[in-house]
Amino acid sequence: MNNIDTNQRDAHAGQGVMASTNKVLITYLLSMVLAALPIVLLVDDAHWLNILAFTYLMGGLAAAWNIIGGFGGQFSLGHGVFFAIGAYMTAQGVIRFGWSPWVTMLPIAAVAALVAMLISWPTFRLRGPFFAIATLAFNEVAFVLANHFDSFTGGPRGLMIPFKAGFANMIFRERWQYALLMFAFVALVVGVSVWLRRSRLGYYLLAVREDEDAARASGINVLSVKLRGMAISAFLTAMGGSLFTMYLRYIDPPTLFTLPEVGVKFALLALIGGIGTIAGPLLGAALIIPFENHLRAEMANALPGLNLAVLGLLMVLAALFMKRGIVGAFEDARKRWFGPKEDKP
Amino acid sequence: MSPAMLQVKTASKHFLGLKAVDEVSLTVRPGEIVSIIGPNGAGKTTFFNLLTGQLAPTSGEVLFEGQPINHLPPHARARLGMGRTFQISKPLIALTALENVMIGAFLRDAPLSVARDKAMLVLEKVGLARLAMRRAGDLTLSERRRLEVARALALQPKIMLLDEVMAGLNQSEVGQAIELLQGLHAQGLTFLIIEHNLKVVRAFSERVVVLDRGRHIAEGSADDILNSPAVIQAYLGDGHMGKGGTDVPASATGEHA
Amino acid sequence: MSDLINVLMFGLLLGGIYGLVSIGLNLIFGVVRIVNFAQGELVMFGMYGSYYAYSQWGMSPYVSVFLVAPAVGLLGMAIQRLVIQPLHNESNMQIFATFGLLMMFENIMLMVSRGEALSIGGDVGAEVVSVGDMKFSLVRVVTLVAVTLITIGLHFFLSRTMMGKAIRAVTQDKRAARTVGIHVERTYLFTFGIGAALAGMAGAMLTPIYSITPTVGGNFILAAFAVVVLGGLGSVWGAYWGGLIVGVVEALAGFYIDPVLRSAIWFLIFLVVLVVKPAGLLGQVGAEEVGFREQH
Repeated sequence: MNNIDTNQRDAHAGQGVMASTNKVLITYLLSMVLAALPIVLLVDDAHWLNILAFTYLMGGLAAAWNIIGGFGGQFSLGHGVFFAIGAYMTAQGVIRFGWSPWVTMLPIAAVAALVAMLISWPTFRLRGPFFAIATLAFNEVAFVLANHFDSFTGGPRGLMIPFKAGFANMIFRERWQYALLMFAFVALVVGVSVWLRRSRLGYYLLAVREDEDAARASGINVLSVKLRGMAISAFLTAMGGSLFTMYLRYIDPPTLFTLPEVGVKFALLALIGGIGTIAGPLLGAALIIPFENHLRAEMANALPGLNLAVLGLLMVLAALFMKRGIVGAFEDARKRWFGPKEDKP
Repeated sequence: MSPAMLQVKTASKHFLGLKAVDEVSLTVRPGEIVSIIGPNGAGKTTFFNLLTGQLAPTSGEVLFEGQPINHLPPHARARLGMGRTFQISKPLIALTALENVMIGAFLRDAPLSVARDKAMLVLEKVGLARLAMRRAGDLTLSERRRLEVARALALQPKIMLLDEVMAGLNQSEVGQAIELLQGLHAQGLTFLIIEHNLKVVRAFSERVVVLDRGRHIAEGSADDILNSPAVIQAYLGDGHMGKGGTDVPASATGEHA
Repeated sequence: MSDLINVLMFGLLLGGIYGLVSIGLNLIFGVVRIVNFAQGELVMFGMYGSYYAYSQWGMSPYVSVFLVAPAVGLLGMAIQRLVIQPLHNESNMQIFATFGLLMMFENIMLMVSRGEALSIGGDVGAEVVSVGDMKFSLVRVVTLVAVTLITIGLHFFLSRTMMGKAIRAVTQDKRAARTVGIHVERTYLFTFGIGAALAGMAGAMLTPIYSITPTVGGNFILAAFAVVVLGGLGSVWGAYWGGLIVGVVEALAGFYIDPVLRSAIWFLIFLVVLVVKPAGLLGQVGAEEVGFREQH
């Protein structure tokens, strides 16, 4: 089954299981500081700050997908549903009730987690491609429902949040503030990933990914592990949806449900960066988002769809030649230069 | 008579008219080593799967320490104290040997450092400590089988169910494996094993059960069974048994090296 | 009452279309054991190819199908050889690869056509067949007839010819097939070619009644998945009957409840079948392949 899939995935990030908690914490904090640097460097460039903000946001969303897709090996193509739940509910909270997104973000994410568990429960028994198809179908159904229930979603016209600057409204005047917000999001998701990866649940997710029968024989309740992983992933994805809404202040069904832009893109970024790794999703975003933005801006008028065609090609090439992504390429290079890692702990 | 650890009462498993397991009864007492042998297709692994919970019996009962466990899923049985290995070894390839064993250890201890330290001890016990940081996918077959035993040991089981754990190993590897198992047995572990290698059966069994075409056809001490005409007939009838005591060819176990 | 009959007939005709699109997908899945997310795009290529033959040379789609189908078939073989074969044991990467192809194909056509919707024009598509006071689109009737003939043809191909038997053997047991000397990779290649050609054929035949856009493939792929699962993986007749059933159910639901619910219908069918009878109606392939597992 997936035994062969995974022999290209690396065993662990950095020093892995033997590293002390302190060391991991310091590595994490230093990396995050490094990742935040561009905000400082680009603080006056609104154009690049916008790209940066999206890079952080998509990196966080890819990292959230990575929890169930990378660690757990369950390739969901339907994460757009959770993204949309975060988006629509946050928007309605603001428009209809004037509720601050800061306050509503966590309860909404919890709703998404619940929905995730409900819809995953019957579908987790499906293998690989069939699970993916089922999640794709969820995305389709949600798209149809979003168009239909226009009292809640504004239907095809979508929802618009009026500009009213203020911290409580999560609407900022300065681009760098948005960039910082999105950075906080990706830092959160990466932090959760690091914690998870060193927890029992994280290891159980890996075991489920590698071999479900072996996992069961080791006392793991496979379904429960998958559901919990999915819940965490959906929770964080919904948070990303909330932030997305407050940044764009306009959402409609195509924006939220178009697979190559949303649900599939999360997976693609994780793949290119390094599926199942900690740094992969953000690295993938850092590589792809600015590049894609360039394609879209420079070429889209002349050649509509070029950006997605290129992304599609990248996806095929990555699946064929770069399964372990950027992180994997670094690991290979490191092995070639410095020799394989020591066996002794 | 000490109470049974594992008890099977006339268990059967039917697949669309095929009786893969036909009213087999078996009792394993604490501290015993019981072997199950039989020609290919005898239903040994299917029977095992009834014990470990991967399959539910069509009829009959499985009891662990007196408790009926017919409908208990495999992970719950592991929790109760049943450890198992698989005929085609299933290491968690992308994880290191240590992490593989930790997966087992996590059952009893949730904190990372505790699970890690206990897993390390288990690795030492099975002689794989020097390979702790090696990726499981890079281990040899003999090392992988040892690793799988280690992972099961980390569950702190009461009984170990080993499915052809010797398959594919050479003479000296088999010898080392037997030593390891004997050491574990001396520490109080109960064993129920499926074996093709009759040398292993001779060296490491107190009682032997013979299955043929899903039915229990003989049971006794290793000597009695391996010299019994009925057993020889069952094997020869399928053209499998060599001269007494040599390997029964472990046919397509489909082992991937 | 005549409403009901109309709806049922429409459903059958729709089902014929679904069957045509799904047969190729089913064949590919049964043999190569991959889910080809890009199947809908192959249908789209068939449509575009047929359209260009019409607009450039005035060729009727029913003629150009003989050019278009083999061309798409060749593309299918290329896909199998270059993309699928290298990933033959990695089901997760296959998902990425075929989905990536979907994105590529759809957007390449978007670039080429600049998003214009193309239509072959009313004359062929508007023809109707009258039975009593019910009128049916001629094209749809032809499609239903065609898919029936194709299914029968495939049935004979699979049971009487060497390659057909090789395909059936590989569907049932790849390892055993190899040991009797069947060249499995070549069988895969051929099957993917046929499956793709069938998709191209479907596209050509649907050209008169569909408005051709790069996204038209998406219309079919989810329904095709539902059909394939319902009919049973690897079964050509399964795809046929599955298509008809899905068409009828969709037509009934569309008429009596809401047409917008189509994707929900497909999804429901997909899920219900996988939970209740994973092998589908006529499935060749066992439950493990389809994806159903004991829930623990």
